[in-house]
Amino acid sequence: MTPDSAPSPPQPRLWRWLTSIRLTVFLLLVLAAVAVVGTLVPQDQPPGQYLARYGETLGRLLWAGGIHRIYYSPWFLLAVFLLALNILACLVHGLPQAVRRSRQRLDWDAGQALPDRGRFPWPPDPDPGPGVARLLRRELGRPRVLVLPDRQVLLWQWGRFRPLGPYLVHLALLLVLAGGLIGKFWGVEGQLPLLVGEEAQAFQKEPRLMVPLPFHIRLDSFQVDFYEEGGAPKEFRSDLTFFKNGREALKAVCRVNEPVTFGGFTFYQASYGSQPGGPVRLKVEHGASSDTLEAPLRRPVDLPGGDQLLVLRVDGNFQGYGPAVQLALRRGPGHPLVFWALQKHPELAVPSLPYRIVPEDIPFKYYSVLQVKRDPGVWWVYAGFLLFLPGFYLAFLRPPQRWAVVLTKTPGGAWEGRLLGTGPRSREDFQARQERLLALLQKGAAP
Amino acid sequence: MTSLLLGAVMLAYLVVGLLFLMGELWASPRLRYAAVLLFWAGLGMHTAALLGRWLESYQLAALHSPPAGWAGVVQLVVFQAPLSNFYESLVFFSWCLPALGLLGFRRHLAGYLGAVAALLACLLLAYASLWVDSRIKPLMPALKSNWLLIHVVTAFLGYAAFALAFGTALLYLATERRPRASLPAPAQLDRLIYRATVLGFLLLTLGILTGAVWAETAWGRYWSWDPKETWSLITWLIYAALLHARLLKGWQGRRIAWLAVLGFMAVLFTYFGVSFLLSGLHSYLT
Repeated sequence: MTPDSAPSPPQPRLWRWLTSIRLTVFLLLVLAAVAVVGTLVPQDQPPGQYLARYGETLGRLLWAGGIHRIYYSPWFLLAVFLLALNILACLVHGLPQAVRRSRQRLDWDAGQALPDRGRFPWPPDPDPGPGVARLLRRELGRPRVLVLPDRQVLLWQWGRFRPLGPYLVHLALLLVLAGGLIGKFWGVEGQLPLLVGEEAQAFQKEPRLMVPLPFHIRLDSFQVDFYEEGGAPKEFRSDLTFFKNGREALKAVCRVNEPVTFGGFTFYQASYGSQPGGPVRLKVEHGASSDTLEAPLRRPVDLPGGDQLLVLRVDGNFQGYGPAVQLALRRGPGHPLVFWALQKHPELAVPSLPYRIVPEDIPFKYYSVLQVKRDPGVWWVYAGFLLFLPGFYLAFLRPPQRWAVVLTKTPGGAWEGRLLGTGPRSREDFQARQERLLALLQKGAAP
Repeated sequence: MTSLLLGAVMLAYLVVGLLFLMGELWASPRLRYAAVLLFWAGLGMHTAALLGRWLESYQLAALHSPPAGWAGVVQLVVFQAPLSNFYESLVFFSWCLPALGLLGFRRHLAGYLGAVAALLACLLLAYASLWVDSRIKPLMPALKSNWLLIHVVTAFLGYAAFALAFGTALLYLATERRPRASLPAPAQLDRLIYRATVLGFLLLTLGILTGAVWAETAWGRYWSWDPKETWSLITWLIYAALLHARLLKGWQGRRIAWLAVLGFMAVLFTYFGVSFLLSGLHSYLT
């Protein structure tokens, strides 16, 4: 990471490759390219989508190559793993030297070796140190004063720990990657739809895979508020009770942005759905006749024309048009006709039907959908996030500067002052400071 | 009211850009001084317009759900920061450019650089007021979070810093071959590109981190590979590559300038491209 100043013994080829900036840049490019592909090809769709969108050959290729889940494909993970290894190798390679450098205090020898930046005379004075120090404090901080027989040295240093900054940042990155890995292997997440009053002891990880919870959870009530009727949702709120060993352990409210944690699992208010609260009352007009009938969920009802009608599902707010019911109409042996009928907008009915069907009453209740997860890696990720801050602060906001003033006694009793210093990472600031310091010292020396 | 004010701001930025250009061409310190003064005035009006919209948005929200007590008022004020849709983000982005330029890069904000900053801000405002839906809409539940403010502010200040680096890089590439006395020396432009990039990188990192923490509390996932997230990561990787190239390999000048241009292209795609071309969690921006 940092160019070595001392000659180091030749290193094995693998180690050189692992610590090389070339590998880093190559991996960054690979990751960026994969990420671009991942945003262009829709992720996590069923296979049919890819065949329909990209054609037979390309669709199959995308599926077989794992492009449909590109961020979980082995070769993407391999690139991330190599990057982590690269960062780790650079840390191991450079950290000891950075620690050594940050432990080097500016002392007499180092101070004298700094490049010369200007000279100034100082009047006869038995102890010039405090006077010069007072001047330096106007521009820098409090300097250290060393007193020798014919000589006084003032030292001031800033940004000594800067060399550690980049290593903290890279350590932070490793922590974040480690956290992601831990979450992937030891974490679990899924969904839990709950009806009001329902109790659950497991949640759904995949369509056919339930994960048991070490406790019971019950949805006591669920509210959905809208800004206006049929408008955008304003708030969802689930009132939850958790039971441990059959006893009530916690009552909590779960809202969007306000998750609830219990027993190592966190519950997030993810979304909601509608469930029927009883049979749907429909007005069915067929020619001149008009009937009102009650249709329970998923049980066929005979229509006057000899056809059959089936309530598939209800929605409390179908695409913002209010309550609606999805119906299937079976006429003869063919496929049934599936369509939506809206309670508040009968004018939107499907015109080609032999019936005019208007829902008169759609009793429904909302149910809550919770996102459930346990992720032991998230604390590693957050630790990494926190470590970024001091890392960036040291790396970019503490450019190192070293200043020394050497005062030498002349035979006449007066002092000759020399200003020395370096600031390799902040040349403009350093230059300006040097001019201000010299002006201060020359003016301060004048009687 | 705010839209009228923003119209005036847009005009002010346009005039500032022209004044900077004329001041450069005629080498007139008086024109330059006038440009800086008008830039400050424009920024002041812009700030007023932002605060006005904040107030308006707060009042609308308070109609829907009146806040209870002081804590409730403060909470609602934070929630209703005017940063919640595409229009508001454009207005804020265009505010960030003069704010960052005048506050953080005051010494360099003159001549062509000042003109680039002012005209870019003017362009963003013009786009916002002519083509983007400016209505205030009630917040969807996921956006009601304290993280909204800090996430959007850091992200857009970062974008603005990258925009300044981009403008400087263009200036560098245009004048590298024919340096002129009236322009800053190429070495100075090069340092400015680096400094603006460092600032942008810090802010973009903070934007990504705060976004991740927010996503964790809202959706239970600090990273979902949503297109916006992914593109912000791509942008971050490009600027990380720039910083490594400069700090470890000693790249300077032309190559760094081209990387700054590439990085800003990624910023633009993260901001506009993802919103319009790809769908995802951030698609409420449109």
